[in-house]
Amino acid sequence: MPPENPIGPHEFPAGASEWPAGLSRRQFIELMAASLALAGLGACNRPPDKTIVPYVTPPDRDLVDGALYYATALPWEGYARGVLALSRSGRPTKIEGNPAHPDSLGATDALTQASVLSLYDPDRSRTPRRGGQPVAWSAFEDAWLARHRELLAQRGAGFALLTEPTTSLTELRGIHALLDRFPAAHWYQHTPLARYDRDGMQDDYDFVRADIVLALDTDFLLSHPSSLRYTRAFASRRRLERGRVNANRLYVIEPSLTITGSMADHRLPASPARMRALLTALTDLIEGKEAAVKLAENERRVLATLARDLREKAPRVVCLASPHGDPALHAWAAATNARLGAAGVTHHALPAVRSDGDARCAGDLAALTMAMQRGDVNTLAIVGANPAYTAPGELEFPAALKRVALSIHLGSHADETAALCAWHLPESHALESWSDLRAYDGTASIVQPLIAPMYLSKSAAEFLFFLADPPVRDGYELVRDTWRQDRADDASFDAAWSGWLRTGAIENSAAARTRPRTTTATPLLSPALDARALTVLFRPDPTIRDGRWSNNAWLQELPKPLTHLVWDNAAQISPSFAAAQHLENGYLIEVRVNGRAIAAPVWITPGHASDCLTLTLGYGRTHAGSIGNGLGYDAYRLRTHAQLWHNENAAVAKLGRQHPLVSTQTHFAMEGRDLVRVADAAHLVSFAVETPPSLYPDVAYRDYKWGMSIDLGACTGCTACVVACQAENNIPVVGRDQVARGREMHWLRVDTYYAGVAENPRVLHQPVPCMQCENAPCEIVCPVAATVHSAEGLNDMVYNRCIGTRYCSNNCPYKVRRFNFLDYRAPRDSTVHLQQNPDVTVRARGVMEKCTYCVQRIDARRIAAEKENRRVRDGEIRTACQQACPAEAIVFGDLNDPQASVVARKAEPTNYALLGELNTRPRTTYLARLVNREESA
Amino acid sequence: MPDADPQLRDADRRRPLFRPSHTTLLRVALAGLGLFFGAGATVMFAYYHSSWWHEVGIRRDQPVLFSHRHHAGELGIDCRYCHATVETSAFASMPSTHTCLTCHSQIFTDTPMLQPVIASAARDEPLRWTRVNALPDHVYFDHSIHVAKGVGCTTCHGEIGAMPLTAKGEPLTMRWCLDCHRDPAPNLRPRAEIFAPTWTPPADQAARGRQLAAQLHVHTTPLTSCSTCHH
Repeated sequence: MPPENPIGPHEFPAGASEWPAGLSRRQFIELMAASLALAGLGACNRPPDKTIVPYVTPPDRDLVDGALYYATALPWEGYARGVLALSRSGRPTKIEGNPAHPDSLGATDALTQASVLSLYDPDRSRTPRRGGQPVAWSAFEDAWLARHRELLAQRGAGFALLTEPTTSLTELRGIHALLDRFPAAHWYQHTPLARYDRDGMQDDYDFVRADIVLALDTDFLLSHPSSLRYTRAFASRRRLERGRVNANRLYVIEPSLTITGSMADHRLPASPARMRALLTALTDLIEGKEAAVKLAENERRVLATLARDLREKAPRVVCLASPHGDPALHAWAAATNARLGAAGVTHHALPAVRSDGDARCAGDLAALTMAMQRGDVNTLAIVGANPAYTAPGELEFPAALKRVALSIHLGSHADETAALCAWHLPESHALESWSDLRAYDGTASIVQPLIAPMYLSKSAAEFLFFLADPPVRDGYELVRDTWRQDRADDASFDAAWSGWLRTGAIENSAAARTRPRTTTATPLLSPALDARALTVLFRPDPTIRDGRWSNNAWLQELPKPLTHLVWDNAAQISPSFAAAQHLENGYLIEVRVNGRAIAAPVWITPGHASDCLTLTLGYGRTHAGSIGNGLGYDAYRLRTHAQLWHNENAAVAKLGRQHPLVSTQTHFAMEGRDLVRVADAAHLVSFAVETPPSLYPDVAYRDYKWGMSIDLGACTGCTACVVACQAENNIPVVGRDQVARGREMHWLRVDTYYAGVAENPRVLHQPVPCMQCENAPCEIVCPVAATVHSAEGLNDMVYNRCIGTRYCSNNCPYKVRRFNFLDYRAPRDSTVHLQQNPDVTVRARGVMEKCTYCVQRIDARRIAAEKENRRVRDGEIRTACQQACPAEAIVFGDLNDPQASVVARKAEPTNYALLGELNTRPRTTYLARLVNREESA
Repeated sequence: MPDADPQLRDADRRRPLFRPSHTTLLRVALAGLGLFFGAGATVMFAYYHSSWWHEVGIRRDQPVLFSHRHHAGELGIDCRYCHATVETSAFASMPSTHTCLTCHSQIFTDTPMLQPVIASAARDEPLRWTRVNALPDHVYFDHSIHVAKGVGCTTCHGEIGAMPLTAKGEPLTMRWCLDCHRDPAPNLRPRAEIFAPTWTPPADQAARGRQLAAQLHVHTTPLTSCSTCHH
């Protein structure tokens, strides 16, 4: 357990009770007296006149209320997430999942939710730059026209194009057009993150049919292009319906604790080398032989149960490993699926969607760097990628880049690569450009803009076609040309086109699933290495991934799942490693790989493999922008091209210094209380209790009675709900220092608890919004009635009445109230205000706030229903967290409606109230975490 | 304590510090102070509750001398011709320049009064009206539900059909809103009378209002919750 409170042993954070320096008591009173007098004077005049500015010519659609959803797609590592983007008065303000999209199914992840903030990032690149100096696009166009003529004469010799792998057919068409124009040119692709294809095929899994799931170091519930679909399918086997559940069983073997690992019924922490040994043993056990490998007691028990489960439940079992990590694990999983008959049942193959394996690609970043070092490249165009930051340190890409005569970078930010390139050109955001994207299952979507480009930017497709054939062509025509294909008939194409834009998914564009081509022969797994060696694992950061989201303040302040760290990355180690090395949270260590070293603070993660150390990518940036610069360490420097995901030659030394890490959760043990209750799927018992009598008068809620149920069996702790809530409710970002003082503002937090032994605990997640207590302890202590009950049982917060005593927060047993200690609003002229929800008040300093059950959505739907003289239907109101959740763990509705799904959920036997013994009668209740353990293991 | 000043004469010690006239002075001063603050408070109270503070009946300068009395009252143009989204959206909406030009591209095109409208269309620059009815930013008001539930335009906007230049008709304070939210019956009208430019309640409004409230399903239960208007 990480028991240490990072803010220190004292009751209050450092500095919280100190008088500010440079201000004496006398000066303070003088200032306050003057402020009071001036405030009194200021109240004498009326607010200034406001103006109303109507249209000259009204738009063809009514935009007055301004709420219009557009179906589009947003990229996740190049793959499409099908979304509905909400436009308010012409500004995109919120992203929701598109229910009609087969790969997102109406859900979103945290990154997709946060992408709307990136559109309004004040640090986005706004103009083209030559040598860092702003210039007009025409300057670049003239320069390129001259170079274009020279290149044409040489058939493109010396020209290299570097892109990220893409699923966009229009971009791919542009790349191919460029290669057709310059036959001697070379196209390279680079991503610092995972590849999901092998031999032109991708794996696809059916978690609805699988009774037994074995995940080998693959975080398919969070870090996968189809994570939304997989989470939905996985959760469907974890949900009680009328007291019954057909639960699957998840086994996870992994070195570093992941979201997927946290959902495991049986989990074995193991280093990459140890995993090979365990799988060798498992192969023997499945065949009914004795394991040749020597196993520890817990390993033997888990593997024996796993082998029996796999044999008995075959073919409704599935083993999965990521194709990018250890190729041997991937081959083992495929072969085992084939031998158990799962191939074609739960394990399928899809043709590769992303361009990683495109036949015309000349190679990866290493190949490009070698060509640059040889002096073979005189013109380099980099589209979207940021190799100066994301290249493995050993490649020395920045040095090689200096040898290129003409380097051009297209990107959303003037990043590390832009700083080294002769030209930097701004790239449009996906919400302001035309494009197309395909999801992991192959479903294609048209990406349509909701707003004209805010700055002088071009989309990647426009840029690629410009490089091939100047002048610039409009992205709209380029995308239409891609999809027009053989439709000569304009009318039928237009009809199909508008249908695609309306639904957000092109029908029948997904490829058919096929049976994976695998042999049943189990691959030879090389024996384990020296057990004393320390393995360094490189993993994408859970919130900012490879660093492309570095400058997104929502994601920086989003507590990282499991560790709850914010604004930083840490080297994760196991409790036993920490004990052996005398390390505590925040101690700096030097990690050395192949002669390169970085200093990183450690974070003790229960359940981490003891001989491994996890470094996360994405931090240590120098040109990310004002949010992302100078945070954390840069793990790319230790990466090698041959071993992107783990390196077994690492050395660690304690530095004797500390770097205070900031975590929003300071205690991860439940201390014997049943905050998260656990139910055994095989032996369900009822948690129902009689409501104890109360001293307060009972109130009958005759009209609507809103309530919520959160299913902890389905919740994976992915934190998409937290960002969705932030986007919907104008929740400010407070920064690292304020979070360290416990002043984070999230209305919804996801608590994590570790139960059991620290080396391999059970991990429990619990989203905690305001419980909307019927006997609300906050209400009775407010001296100004700023928090009161509504007629529908909501615990209303009235910002204008609040005088900031914070009594309510002190009296709240759930600690869900958030106080504006400072004015956390962005500067007046900041572009981020354009994102804000006009239906929610932006709170000022000195005001308490908390989850409202998205009361603005309740009001809007109630008004819509009242206009039709009917009651609000079940499912019509969905809170922001509910709408985002890929696991459908959150359900909201009217408790007075016997048909409502929330009533059905609350009738399940595992329904319980958090701290119910306090008799606060919370409207939000939980369904217990469901585990399906085999007791013998 | 020893004598502080041995030089002090006995006579001075016996003379009183305050003479009787000081008492009178103090009484007058106290009464004066009380009167001053009392009068001040009364003036401020009266001012704060006056229509002058609430700007009721005060006309605002507008780019065009537009008369609701002429257009709505005399010509009988329906409110919704210009405020087109009043039944569907929270905001009643202001007419676009082209809405004005539906008629005024044909009539009164050369009057000086209309020049700002013609100029707006010619230069593609919107007219900038001064707000007459403004609610604070933390109030979320929805026109459509009020219209749907039988609250007519003039209930909140005054006798708009009699206003040559537009002025605020009601104080639009929270107390004023809540008076109706607690008991809407006196202000409810049948569907046909919602958009009447002038309206006086009939003699049997009390009974008619109760009947309309039942017919239009006007529930007052949620209407006084804070979150109905503030979120």
